[in-house]
Amino acid sequence: MKNTFRLAAALFSVSTFTVGHAEVSFAAEPRAAAHTVESYVKVPMPPGFQVIVNELEGPVFADAKGKTLYTWPVKAMRNGYAADPENKSVCGDKVVLKSAGLMSPYPGGLDLPDPETRVSCVAYWPPVYAADDAKPVGSWTIITREDGKRQWAYDKHALYTSMLDRVPGDVLGGSTMSRRGDSPAAREPAGPPPAIPPGFRVVSTVRGRMLLTDTRYSVYESDNDGPNKSNCVNDCARTWLPILAPHSAQSQGEWSIVERGAGVRQWAFRKKPLYTYSEDEAAAKLDGGDVPGWHNVYTQVAPAAPKDFTIQATLNGDVLADARGKTVYYYSCGEDSADMTPCDTMESPQQYRFAVCGNGDVAKCLRTWAYVEATPGMNSTSRLWSTVWVDPNTGRRAQPHQQGALNVWAYRDRPVYTYAQDRAPGDFLGNNTGEWHGRWNGYQAFWIRDLGGRGG
Amino acid sequence: MSILSKTFTTVSLCALMAAAGARADEAGPLKGGRIGYVVADAHFSVYQTADGKAECPQGLNPHGPREIFKALWPNGGKMEDTILVREGLNSFPADHPAQFPYIETSGNTALGLNLDGKVGPKDFTSPEGEKGIDNAFYRVTGCNTGFRGPDGQVQLFASKFLRGFQYNRMMIEISGVDSLSDDPSVDVTIMRGRDPILLDATGERAAPGGSQRIDERYGKPLIQHLKGKIEGGVLVTEPEKDITWAWQIEGGHPRALHIRDMRLRLSLTPTKADGLMGGYFDVSTLLDWTNGYATHHLAYDRLDSPEFYWAMRRVADAYPDPKTGENTALSSAITLNMTQVFIQHPEESAGKQVAVAKPAQTPSER
Repeated sequence: MKNTFRLAAALFSVSTFTVGHAEVSFAAEPRAAAHTVESYVKVPMPPGFQVIVNELEGPVFADAKGKTLYTWPVKAMRNGYAADPENKSVCGDKVVLKSAGLMSPYPGGLDLPDPETRVSCVAYWPPVYAADDAKPVGSWTIITREDGKRQWAYDKHALYTSMLDRVPGDVLGGSTMSRRGDSPAAREPAGPPPAIPPGFRVVSTVRGRMLLTDTRYSVYESDNDGPNKSNCVNDCARTWLPILAPHSAQSQGEWSIVERGAGVRQWAFRKKPLYTYSEDEAAAKLDGGDVPGWHNVYTQVAPAAPKDFTIQATLNGDVLADARGKTVYYYSCGEDSADMTPCDTMESPQQYRFAVCGNGDVAKCLRTWAYVEATPGMNSTSRLWSTVWVDPNTGRRAQPHQQGALNVWAYRDRPVYTYAQDRAPGDFLGNNTGEWHGRWNGYQAFWIRDLGGRGG
Repeated sequence: MSILSKTFTTVSLCALMAAAGARADEAGPLKGGRIGYVVADAHFSVYQTADGKAECPQGLNPHGPREIFKALWPNGGKMEDTILVREGLNSFPADHPAQFPYIETSGNTALGLNLDGKVGPKDFTSPEGEKGIDNAFYRVTGCNTGFRGPDGQVQLFASKFLRGFQYNRMMIEISGVDSLSDDPSVDVTIMRGRDPILLDATGERAAPGGSQRIDERYGKPLIQHLKGKIEGGVLVTEPEKDITWAWQIEGGHPRALHIRDMRLRLSLTPTKADGLMGGYFDVSTLLDWTNGYATHHLAYDRLDSPEFYWAMRRVADAYPDPKTGENTALSSAITLNMTQVFIQHPEESAGKQVAVAKPAQTPSER
């Protein structure tokens, strides 16, 4: 394992990565070239840290061994607060054995599963300690933990690595992808800001790192434009609103200024003039990308799903499906405890999942929520998707070819499933099964594109 | 001016105004014999008196998730022996019989429609005196806080959030209309819109006169057809065997109600269509729709999902299982408040740059 780690560190310690061939492409397909990665601001960093550009999350901080750094931002729950406030770590070294009741109508103080094998928060999320002589650098600061140890923080949030990350470049401990409201206080990979001008932002989606305006409206580019030249005028410019650059804006890196006319300046990214779409009535829409010749803009494209998968249209948008067209689901679980430990991995207590997938009956669970088995010989060409061996009777990771084990597809190292009651392609009857719409202990459909929530 | 002249003038003016009104209809919302309406508010129809004593003499249902938990496990315990037991039953309620009494609605009055054309012993009478009203679902919702207005959680939010979600933007278009007052034969098309609902100056209420493009992509399965007639300004449609109706309570929990023998009864004006959508709803559909509101919210309403499931099975009144004979569906009605909207058909958008669906590519197409 150590050698594997070192080899992988060599492969991933630079700020680039190789994305495999797209396997299942998306409707309104993201357009950034597959090899393109997101540029970021070269923020001052203490010695011993680096930036690795992840397939899904974009640029993230990592330690010298390539382990991704995470924060755990404070979050208001229904019955109190969870996670780290600014400049403080609440991730301790005591093993938490009782539930907290932060997001449940039921009381806290219940005995958590598997007490004999539970680990402390710091064992799960090792703090990134600062050497005695370490000094703050830029947004990197040092906080003092309750035990007196010094811990690195970035942007006022304490930094950790994750025991879920096994090889350099893994970002399995958390994600910045939207989890919607009423979800657990999750760990998020920390990273430098993307190299974008004021007025824009980048968000992680299953499709890629999506460029938005700072008010979260989608940004588009046109096939009809030339390099640093807009051909969208008159009626076109009333539908597609050029994103104007202020007089003081300067071209820099991948960003340039297009002169639309005297004193009218438009932002361009990678030489493509940028627009918003007048008919987008809500944030982060993909509708403009449905118009022929127009595309949403991504700083980098996420790897597509392997060939064992398809995409199906549903009443709610496009969903990932297996080869037969059955909707694919992922399982989400956050433990309602002070540590808010993820319980959605093969190493987590499986009692949570078995409760919602089969009412504690493993056979029923397997009948109701089937693993998506990988076609023999099929491998993923990305790190986001993988095939894993699982013992279906325990839900635990198994040895390859172990008796009774299944070789199944996993997204971010978590197996994916289909639902027995979905009869036809486009059905998504299993969506949001479980607590809090499936966000705390349940299943959610793997949406590639959904109509969204409010305003969506 | 004499009294006679005044009277004549008034009558003439009224006649002129009426004629002008009719012409305005033709030039306004009723165009080419078509008029559209979009759902602005919707909730399961619950008849309730001011103090609730007539329909709920025993009070409101007291056994929600918190109360049941406290009764079953007063001293707490292991997660897998307590909370996860209830969470498991939320998904598989048939695994354990009902454990707590559930207060069903009493009384003889209910909102709804006479779905089977009969007057049976379990039927209700409408507040207007119509007999034979079928609304079995009201038996389990009438004494549940969540379904009662104006502030029951399900009642309030299922309607309040409805306007914000494109997923919910259900519309009807009535075509072949000669008059909004009377027409022996009209066609009704159910469809979903793609645009925000036009709101009035308060920002809270839908306003007539907005426009909607048709969701012909993801909403294509929702395009469904009914036959009907207009009598005395009321649209009544013939029952349609299987109808799918999109309605999510909260964002990110899309659900489709499967309604059997669905029909509409809506009072029409040029600006709105108000009334009922009735039919039979599968137990599974109603449970799934209600579960979409999370145990936390249902706890506010003292609505426990497994107990709710058993209550529905007890009062189910239609579509017996061929093997067991047990009814699998409940008669019910949804109160709809719809606002007039101009529905843009694709052919009418010619010349305008409109979004065109690009089909998802599969590996074989690449």
